[in-house]
Amino acid sequence: MSDSVLPAAAVAAPPKPRTRLPPAVALGIAWIGLMLAVALLAEVISPYAYTALDLRNRLSPPVFMDGNWAHVLGTDELGRDVLSRLFFSIRMSLLIAFGATIIGAAFGTTMGFLAAHFRGVVEQAVLTLVDFSASLPFLILALAVLAFFGNSLMLFIVLLGFHAWERYARIARGLAISAGAQGYAAAVRQLGATPLRVYWRHILPNIASTLIISMTLAFPEVILLESGLSFLGLGVQPPATSLGNMLGYGREYLTRAPWILLAPAFTIILTTLAISLVGDWLRDRVDPTLR
Amino acid sequence: MLRFIATRFARALVTIVMVVTFAFVVLRLSGDPALLIMSVDAPPEAIAAFRQAWGLDEPLWQQYLKYFGAIVQGDLGRSMRDGRDAIVLVTERIPATLALTLPALAIKLGIGIPAGVYAALHRNSLTDRLVMTTAVLGFTVPSFVLGLLLVLVFAVQLGWLPSGGQGTWRHAILPVITLGVGGAAVLARFTRSAMLEVLGQPYIRTASAKGVPWRLVVRGHALPNAAIPTVTIVGFMVGSLIAGAVVVESVFSWPGVGRLLVVAVANRDLAVVQCILLLVAATMVTSNLVVDLLYGALDPRLRQMRAGGAH
Repeated sequence: MSDSVLPAAAVAAPPKPRTRLPPAVALGIAWIGLMLAVALLAEVISPYAYTALDLRNRLSPPVFMDGNWAHVLGTDELGRDVLSRLFFSIRMSLLIAFGATIIGAAFGTTMGFLAAHFRGVVEQAVLTLVDFSASLPFLILALAVLAFFGNSLMLFIVLLGFHAWERYARIARGLAISAGAQGYAAAVRQLGATPLRVYWRHILPNIASTLIISMTLAFPEVILLESGLSFLGLGVQPPATSLGNMLGYGREYLTRAPWILLAPAFTIILTTLAISLVGDWLRDRVDPTLR
Repeated sequence: MLRFIATRFARALVTIVMVVTFAFVVLRLSGDPALLIMSVDAPPEAIAAFRQAWGLDEPLWQQYLKYFGAIVQGDLGRSMRDGRDAIVLVTERIPATLALTLPALAIKLGIGIPAGVYAALHRNSLTDRLVMTTAVLGFTVPSFVLGLLLVLVFAVQLGWLPSGGQGTWRHAILPVITLGVGGAAVLARFTRSAMLEVLGQPYIRTASAKGVPWRLVVRGHALPNAAIPTVTIVGFMVGSLIAGAVVVESVFSWPGVGRLLVVAVANRDLAVVQCILLLVAATMVTSNLVVDLLYGALDPRLRQMRAGGAH
């Protein structure tokens, strides 16, 4: 895929110091910027509160379907403004995805470092856990956990954080083992640095670029997972709203008011697409070995 | 070779045991099922009777051992909602799920692999670009969005196909397409990069240079070598025949295992959730095992390396 975006980079033998940004990637970055701005400014730019009812204007269509300008993207079955709900949903979905990605990366990296540092039994235990996580579809595990712990936002974020942790663990373990064999880690250790300091201050910064790229690649997956679970009614619970949650409830009005569902649908598609494009491009530029 | 197979079997068993333990820990320790199933104002005697009936009044380690023993004997408990055997409830849904996932798997393999191979062989051509763009879209459009969009177009707007439920074969068309398209995209992308990787190898150049026709180079050298990484992802797809349709079944109100799981999770029906979890784990682990063994068969290097204990 990335080849279609950046055909020259793979072939060009002497890497140019500055390659031009491919247009698709530039658009992707712009879209991500827009989404971040919306998430940060949701209160300021929303025309209404996302829970505000306008009972006289229930299921009113968006402007481009002969609706009125009071509700640019129309309203839902309770007369809530779709645009305002969309803004707050973007905030919620991005918040969850950020939280979960960071938790996953932190947990996975820590486990990888532990395995690399202690080797032996600890390493075997971590690798068994990695195998276990990689061998089951995460959605099923998540559903099983949700079945009993029920739904709180914090728990939901932590749960999604366990998605893809095994990828970071694998990468961190491999890189830490090879970094440990390099001069700089041994040198700091000889100077008397504690293991914590060696890993945190010296090895982590050296492998950070690879980890950050893995995070970029896992981020859209977390968005899809969150929206999938919320769509099934098992993720974010009302009155809070997220992109998947909007889709799930909008589905009941598919025939009469498809706009409720289309707005979050296209937002999900464009956002995951944008992040994937940027992530692939970053990976190809910074670390082609990650493929 | 024997040692290789034995290690893989042991690994598969350990995974199954871990899933059983996981199911027990998560589903049993996180709340009192008696209070969740019974209404809050149920008399204390009724709650006590319920606990006794389900063995919830015993110490946890005893519950765990009992649970483990029961599973080994194939007893997966009864649904807390309607009292039927969970395993029966689940197995009677399997045919419906397979009715969706098997044709979808055929679509994935039938479209994904040829598209990926073609795109790799005609790199940077218009078709390659087209295949890869579609693949990216198929990868980023979640199945529930695709499913709902298909319903909107083909059921609501055009009225050609039913929007949900199970009845005739026409009911299966939209869910099968929804499932198949995403998987085909992933597979095409994966096959393409596996092929490109192989096509860049020196032995391909050597084969071409010594005058082997390109068609035979592709058939004899490129395809078999590219098949090795592709087998992994196909194995994953086969392993998710049971669990892969959770979301799509919900979109189309299809009465399969996935729909049952979602309902069971919403109702907190322990036994059914556990049963599905174990079933999914068993299919996943089995197909991973088969993939590992196939790897050994496809690639003699791996077989020797692992059997020799070098890995």
